[in-house]
Amino acid sequence: MQQARLSIDGLCKSFSVPVLKNVKLSILPGEIHAIIGENGAGKSTLVNILAGLLEKNSGDIEIDGVPYIPENPTDGFVAGISCASQELSIIGTLSVAENIALRNLPHVKSIILQDKIDQQAVELLRLVGLDHIAPGVLASTLSLADRQLLELSKALASDCRLLILDEPTAALTGPQADRLHEIIADISAKGTSVIYISHRLEDVRKVSDTVSVLRDGMVVASVATNSLTVPDMIEHMMGKSKPGGQQAPAAVQNKISLLRVQELSSKELPYPISFDCHAGEIIGIAGLAGSGRSELLQTLFGLLPSTGGRVSRCQKDGQVTIKSARQAVKLGIGFLTEDRKMTGIYSGQSVLANMMLPGISRVASSVGVINRALEKARGTALVNRLAIKCSGVDQHIEKLSGGNQQKALIARWMNCESDIFLLDEPSRGVDVGTKDLIYRLLFEMQAQGKAVLLASSEIEELMTVCNRILVLSDRKLVKVFERGKWTEMDILSAAFQEYTTKTTV
Amino acid sequence: MAPIQYLKKHAQENFIIASLVLLILFFGIASDNFFSVITFTTILNQLPALTTVTVGMTLVLIIAGIDLSVGSILGFSAAVVGIAAVGWGLPLPVACLLGLGAGILCGSVNGVLVAYFSLPSFIVTLGMLEMARGLAYMTTASQTVYIGADIQKIALPLPGLGVSAALIFSLLLVVVAQFILKRTVFGRYITAIGTNDQAARMSGIDSRPYKLLVLTISGALAGLGGIFNAAYLGSADPNAGIGLELSAIAAAVIGGTSLMGGRGSIIGAFAGVLIIVILQNGLAQIGVSEPAKRLITGAVIIIAVLIDRWRAQHEPA
Repeated sequence: MQQARLSIDGLCKSFSVPVLKNVKLSILPGEIHAIIGENGAGKSTLVNILAGLLEKNSGDIEIDGVPYIPENPTDGFVAGISCASQELSIIGTLSVAENIALRNLPHVKSIILQDKIDQQAVELLRLVGLDHIAPGVLASTLSLADRQLLELSKALASDCRLLILDEPTAALTGPQADRLHEIIADISAKGTSVIYISHRLEDVRKVSDTVSVLRDGMVVASVATNSLTVPDMIEHMMGKSKPGGQQAPAAVQNKISLLRVQELSSKELPYPISFDCHAGEIIGIAGLAGSGRSELLQTLFGLLPSTGGRVSRCQKDGQVTIKSARQAVKLGIGFLTEDRKMTGIYSGQSVLANMMLPGISRVASSVGVINRALEKARGTALVNRLAIKCSGVDQHIEKLSGGNQQKALIARWMNCESDIFLLDEPSRGVDVGTKDLIYRLLFEMQAQGKAVLLASSEIEELMTVCNRILVLSDRKLVKVFERGKWTEMDILSAAFQEYTTKTTV
Repeated sequence: MAPIQYLKKHAQENFIIASLVLLILFFGIASDNFFSVITFTTILNQLPALTTVTVGMTLVLIIAGIDLSVGSILGFSAAVVGIAAVGWGLPLPVACLLGLGAGILCGSVNGVLVAYFSLPSFIVTLGMLEMARGLAYMTTASQTVYIGADIQKIALPLPGLGVSAALIFSLLLVVVAQFILKRTVFGRYITAIGTNDQAARMSGIDSRPYKLLVLTISGALAGLGGIFNAAYLGSADPNAGIGLELSAIAAAVIGGTSLMGGRGSIIGAFAGVLIIVILQNGLAQIGVSEPAKRLITGAVIIIAVLIDRWRAQHEPA
C-alpha cells in the first residue's frame, strides 16, 4: 500500500468543550481531499492544528510517515504544509511580490534581492492566472478575488507537499473558480496533496477525489467523491436528527407587527429583504458563515447603513423609520453582538457598569445624575434573575465565564425594557446550562409579547426555539419556513442553495 | 460599609494620598524651611493652571484620547487676554472671556477633527500644539504683554480667606469633574467609550459628540489655565505653558489614569498634580540641581505607573 502523505489518528482537541473527537484521516500523495461539514463541525480547528496555529490535545499526525508535532506556523512551513486560509493573510502595504515571498525572502547578508523576488512572483502569478498583475503593485490595490488567488500563489511559493485551501472560491466568480480548480488539478498531478474545504458542494463534487464529512468534531464518512450526490453530502453533515429541546415556543397569538422590514437592501445585503416581526414571535435567521446573518441584524439595528428600503418600528401611534442605532435603542430595540469579547463587554469595568450602560439614564435624574442605590438595586435584581455567577456586581466582567458574560449582556437590554431583541449567536461558546437558561429567557420574553430575532449557525437551536426561520444563502433571503413545516434537511438545502446553483451556471 | 472595605474600594486614591503624605513628611524632615509660608505660597500659586489643565487631560485620556495641545492653548489664551485688555483696551472680564473663547475654539477644532474626521487625537493635537503656539506668538508679536495689577487679583489671596479665587475655582473644578465622571450619565458614557468604543457603538451609543465635547472641554480648561497664568504673572507671556501637556499627562498617570482609556480619577489626577508640584519645590529646597530634579521627576512618573500596573494585576476583583 502507498505511504500516506498525511495520516491523522485519534486526534482530539477541546476548548471548553470537545471540538475534535478522535479524528482519523488519511490522504495519499496527489490526492484532492475535500472536508465538508456544518459550521462548528470542527473544520477550522483541524486546519489550524495542521497549520501549527493550535496545539492538539492528543492523537498522532504523520507526514510521509514522519511524526508531525507543530508548535508554530513555521513548523508547518518546514514540514511542507501550505495554507491558503479563509482569513486572508495578505499584507496590504507590501507589494504583491513581497507578499508571495514573505516567508522566505531571498537575501544576501540581510539585503533583500528585489529582482529575485519579482522574478519568482511573475512565475507564480502566471501559475494562478494573475498574469495581468505586476509584481510591484501594492497588494491592497487588488480586488478580493485577486487577493484570494494571490493567497494561493503565496501558498505555492514554497515547495509544498500538502496544500490546504479553506473556502478558496468564496470570493470568486464561476469562471474564476473553474480556473482555480484547473490549477488545483495541475498541482495535485505533480504529487502535491490538497485539502479542499468548501461550503460549495458542487465545487467539492467537481474537484475532489475523496470527501470526508465532519460532524460534531467526528469524521462520520470518508469516501470517494463520485459515490456521493449533493443531497447525500448534506445528509451526512446533519446526521440523524437528535431529539429536540424539551420546550417549544408558544404560537403567535394576534399578529401585531413590532418591526416591519420593507425591501431592505445594503452594500452587504444586495437583494431586497422584507418581513414582519410580530409581538410574541421568535424568528430565526439561518445561513452559513458569510451568508449575511450578522449583517442583517446590524442593518436592522442601524449599525450598518442601508441603501434601499426601510426598517420601521410599529407603535400604536404609527410607524417610525429606524435610521441609527441610537434611535433604535430609544425605540425599544436591543442588540446582542456575536463577538462578545471584542464588541460586547467593557473589559475592566464592573458587571454592574456593563449591565447598566445603554439604559443608564433609567436610573438617573433628568439632569443625568445617577442614583447609585437604585442602580445597584436594579443590577442586583438582574444578577439574581439571570443567575449570573459573580462575586458581586462590582466584580470586573472579564473575570466571569463566557456564559455569565453573555447573560450580563442580555441583562443590558432587559434593563432598557426593550421590546425587540436582536440576538446574534447568543449561545455561542456558552455551556449547556446557560444555553437552557437563554432559551427559557427567550420564551419568557415571548410570553411578555416581546419579539426576538435570533441569528444562529446552529440549525438545531433555531428549530428548537423559533416560530419562523428565515434562511439566508449568499446574502439573499431565499426561504421562510413556518414552524412545523420544516425539516433540517430543507433548511440546510436552502442555506446551500445559492452556493450550489451559482457554480453550475 | 466597613472601613476596610471602603479602603479597598478606594485603594487607588488612598495609595496616592499616602505617597503624598510621605513626600511632604520627607521634605519636612530633610529641609529646614519646607514647612514655611513662602514654600506654601509658591506651591499654591503653581496649582491652579496645572490643575485645570490636568482635569481636562484626564477626561481626554479616559475617553481613550490624548491632548498634546493644552500647553500651547494655554499660551494662546493668555496672549489673547493680554492683547484684548491692553492692545484693544477691552474691559478685563471681556478680555478673559475672549481668552476662554480662544481655548474653546482650539479645543473644538481638535474635537471636530478627532470625532467627525476620525483622525487620531495624538496627531490632531500635535498639530494644534504647533498652531496654537504660532497664534500665541502672532497675537503678541512674540512680546510679553504687561497687563497690570487688576488681573493679578484673580491669583492673589482673597482677603479673609487666605487663598486665591483661582485656587478655589480649580479645587471646585476637581470636585465637580470627579462627580460628573463617577456619578453622571455623561461620565459613564465617556468611560464606556474609552473602554471599548466598538461595544459602545454596538449598544447604540454614538461616541462622536462625546469625543467632541471632551476635547472642547479640555481646550476650554486650557484657556482657563491661560487666564490663571496671566493672573499669576500679571502679564501675558506667549511662551507660557511650554511643556505643560507633559506635566498634565504625568499628573493624570501618577493619579492612576490609564493611557489606554476607560480608567481614571480626577481626584487621583489632582493628587498627581500635588505630587509633581511638591516634588519640584521640595527638591529645590533641599538643594537638588535642576538636571537632577528632572531625572528624579521622570523616575517618579515611571515608578508610579509600574506600581499602578502591579496593583491592577494583583487586585482580587
